[in-house]
Amino acid sequence: MNLTRFRSWLKWMVKGQRLESEMETEVRFHIESRAADLVRKGLSQQEAMRQARIEFGGIESHKDAVRASVGVRWWGELGSDLRHGFRLLRKNPGFTAVAILTLALGVGANTAIFSIVNAVLLRSLPYRDPDRLVRICFNEPGVGLRDVRFSKPELDDLQTRSGVLEDATPIFEGSENVTGTKQPERVEGVNTSFSYFSMLGVVPQIGRLYGPQDFVPGFASEAVISDGLWRRAYGADPNVLGGTIRIDSDPLTIIGVLPRGFRHPGPTTSGEAEVFGAGGFSGDPFPPPIRGNRVLVHGIGRLKPGVTLAQAQARLTAMAAELRHDFPTDYPPQAQWTIEIQPLQGTLVGNVRPMLLVLLGAVILIVFIVSLNIAHLLLARASGRQQEMAVRLALGASPGRVVRQMLTESALLSLIGGAAGIVTAVGTLGFILRFMPSNVPRLNEVRIDWVVLAFALLISILTGLVFGLAPALHSAKGALSSATREGGRGSGYSTKTGRLRDVLIVSELAFAVILMVGAGLLLRTLRDLLQQNPGFNPTQVVTANTWLGVPNDPRTDPYLGISGKAAFDRELLRRMNAIPGVELAAITSALPTTNPNPNAVGGLANEGFAIEDKPVESSQDLHAERIRVSPDYFKVLQATLLRGRSFTEGDEDGKPLVAIIDESTAHKYWPTLDPLGRRVRFAQDPTKPWTTIVGIVKDIKSDGLDIDGVPHIFVSVYQDPSKQVSVVLRTSLPAALLEPQIRHEIEGMDPGLPVFNVVSMNDILDRSLASRRFSADLVGGFAGLAVLLASIGIYGLLAYMVSQRSREIGIRMALGAGRGGVLKLFLQKGIVLAGLGIVAGIVVSASTASLMGSLLYGVRPHDPVVFVIVPLLLFAVAVLASYLPARRATKVDPMIALRES
Amino acid sequence: MGKAIDLLQGTLEMLILKAVSLGPLHGYGVLLRIQQISGEQLEIQQGSLYPALYRLEHQGWIAGEWGESDNNRKAKFYSLTATGRRQLHSETEKWNRMASLIASILRTTPEEI
Repeated sequence: MNLTRFRSWLKWMVKGQRLESEMETEVRFHIESRAADLVRKGLSQQEAMRQARIEFGGIESHKDAVRASVGVRWWGELGSDLRHGFRLLRKNPGFTAVAILTLALGVGANTAIFSIVNAVLLRSLPYRDPDRLVRICFNEPGVGLRDVRFSKPELDDLQTRSGVLEDATPIFEGSENVTGTKQPERVEGVNTSFSYFSMLGVVPQIGRLYGPQDFVPGFASEAVISDGLWRRAYGADPNVLGGTIRIDSDPLTIIGVLPRGFRHPGPTTSGEAEVFGAGGFSGDPFPPPIRGNRVLVHGIGRLKPGVTLAQAQARLTAMAAELRHDFPTDYPPQAQWTIEIQPLQGTLVGNVRPMLLVLLGAVILIVFIVSLNIAHLLLARASGRQQEMAVRLALGASPGRVVRQMLTESALLSLIGGAAGIVTAVGTLGFILRFMPSNVPRLNEVRIDWVVLAFALLISILTGLVFGLAPALHSAKGALSSATREGGRGSGYSTKTGRLRDVLIVSELAFAVILMVGAGLLLRTLRDLLQQNPGFNPTQVVTANTWLGVPNDPRTDPYLGISGKAAFDRELLRRMNAIPGVELAAITSALPTTNPNPNAVGGLANEGFAIEDKPVESSQDLHAERIRVSPDYFKVLQATLLRGRSFTEGDEDGKPLVAIIDESTAHKYWPTLDPLGRRVRFAQDPTKPWTTIVGIVKDIKSDGLDIDGVPHIFVSVYQDPSKQVSVVLRTSLPAALLEPQIRHEIEGMDPGLPVFNVVSMNDILDRSLASRRFSADLVGGFAGLAVLLASIGIYGLLAYMVSQRSREIGIRMALGAGRGGVLKLFLQKGIVLAGLGIVAGIVVSASTASLMGSLLYGVRPHDPVVFVIVPLLLFAVAVLASYLPARRATKVDPMIALRES
Repeated sequence: MGKAIDLLQGTLEMLILKAVSLGPLHGYGVLLRIQQISGEQLEIQQGSLYPALYRLEHQGWIAGEWGESDNNRKAKFYSLTATGRRQLHSETEKWNRMASLIASILRTTPEEI
């Protein structure tokens, strides 16, 4: 349609009424002019009018042709179809209510889940030119290491030598204590290069942000705070600018407040970053900026305009090769040090993508099942309307016109259902979000926007097509031949509709199988994880946390040095042990399963170390997570000491350094030798003394119940102090009861210390499974719904068959067929359909289950148990659903059935 | 009008364009003009004139405007637009080529093959 025609069409659409009357005038003018000419030729006025009308032909059909010629005829027909459709819906309130209700649920669930998928996976990151933001990883594939640390000269190479990056910064994330505000608290902080904000393209809410002009070699004395902290701690006071905020005891000047929606693009240790600082990474307290001093973590960067990801990757790979060649001592050849970049968006959502996609798949399956069920209802209704269609066709309606009418009706239904679905989604989104696991990023960006509405519309139209097409085609084809002949009574279970219904049932069952297999795999994974032995006894353990802060200026640190920190730890333990009801207290730097970000400052340090008498293959090839614990830690957790000894109070500063390793470390680094008595050196720093391994413990699931085989080295907190202090208490008291006393004791030691997350160890383990539980429960619920819908479908189909064929049953029985035979007839039908659907579903599931691989733990995608139980269960349900109507068939009284017909 | 010729499929629109190219006409006027030019030899189903007129207007080849007829009645007058003129020109050319081609085919004698 070109512009002229579109304009003309639009004119008709908008001013249709006036144009219609103009057309009327024009026609009347024509006929009257012709009549006047005829009068002049000698006809009487009346005869002339009659003659003129005859010559003109059928006025209405010509008008219709006019409408068709400007493309608005279908519009009028649509109007009448819609009116007809509305009337039908009103006439069958039961059918309408069921259809719209199930559609509202189906489309609503889709819309809600899609709005999350849209915000988390699809929508661009809320930064300037987000497509040019990349995550930069330094890898050593030769020794199997990814994302190793990097040095200041390597950062400089990215920015200047590479030529493809506009900017790059390392990102340090971690806990920080904020004091000097209303109440001391622990927040997430981020430290970056000075170009961080300009790289992201952020504009402050008030004040200014630091930029390259603020450069200092060490840490900057300015800080930028988040909108949340500004409101919480300062009551949104604009005079906060220029004021001092103490972050880990460092006095920093607040220079700006970030806008409300700003979110740091990365996983902080447990929440959103609220304090932002910058550093030059080349002066005190940083080590000298030489190539081998690799202390920087988590690089992100911005590509230069016009540079594609592939071009940049090629250049960086080439640059890494040049560097390896130029500095052979810094890059041992066997490590194959190299640089890799990925789109930032992908790396931010990497681990939740499969979960969200599985959820989206589940809701799409559900909406298909819902629409198949509605297709049944419509098909049943279409059979009842065969007469109507037959009359329409006989009166000259084209089959296409009849199909269009039926499709209009189902589209009407699907659009009403879709609208109800959107309302449902808007109403339940908040509820669903409350249950979303907190590790899903960008949840604060979830909203129902145009993209989501378009998706809801698309889903509604698709469902309308799914459930509308079958009955529509059926009426257009079948109606004329059969219905006129068979008259008003239901025409029995004709083979044509029959086959259509069978296909609907089989696909419904197949979809249900797919959902059930998915749910089965997820639920088995969850059950496995819940039954996992975490390597310790989590019941009757209460935990609490504090953070001592890492001041940039050591002189402000009240817990300086090993001895200062050890004194704090001993006093803390004395106070904890004195709380009534506490049997034993211990300290750790990392509670099991609470550490999603090993690179965080003060978190689990995934550190390189050297083994005595073993050559170093890469800067960081020997690595283990170092956990600092107090002597009673293993006793409080009731972990198993396999060999050697535990730490004692005597393992303190000035005494020989000792370490305890877990089985994973033992297997990985001393596969053939006895590790006891062997010596390691952390950070591979030759100036540091050796640490002797004195014990081996059974693996403790420190990183998560679903993470195995990470090597850990435990050291004594008295020899290797930790700023992250987590207390574990063995007690029969609940956490809520102990919290006030724990708080009181820690604040008694230092009122500036925050106390947070006082919870039982079981709650911690539980929380670590929140995301898996969420998806397993949701998919499980959908699977249950699918089974219910499928069994209703199969029940409805057979019940319908029985009622349609009651006359046939009556004749059979009158001719001597037994009840058993009749029962078998219908039961067989149900069983064959169920069998076909289940086989189809199993085939599809088996070929797609591996897509879920990353969501499973301890269960293979083709888990035999799931693949046996699901079909059996569904089969049993299907047999039951067919048995009920089949039994009713046997109750048919031949006399009544025959008389009725 | 016993000897009148039925209109060939698709030629009505061309004739309408030609008729209004000679000056603005209302619907009935178009009919009269075509009949007059053709020497009363063409049989046009009067009602079918209007779908054709509206289609041409829809295409933007003619423009309709309400005015007054000779007998002082309100009538819609159609006139040729610039694109309509081009359309008429190309249609005429196409028709002439087609007509001469068909005529030459029909003139063909056995010897010429």
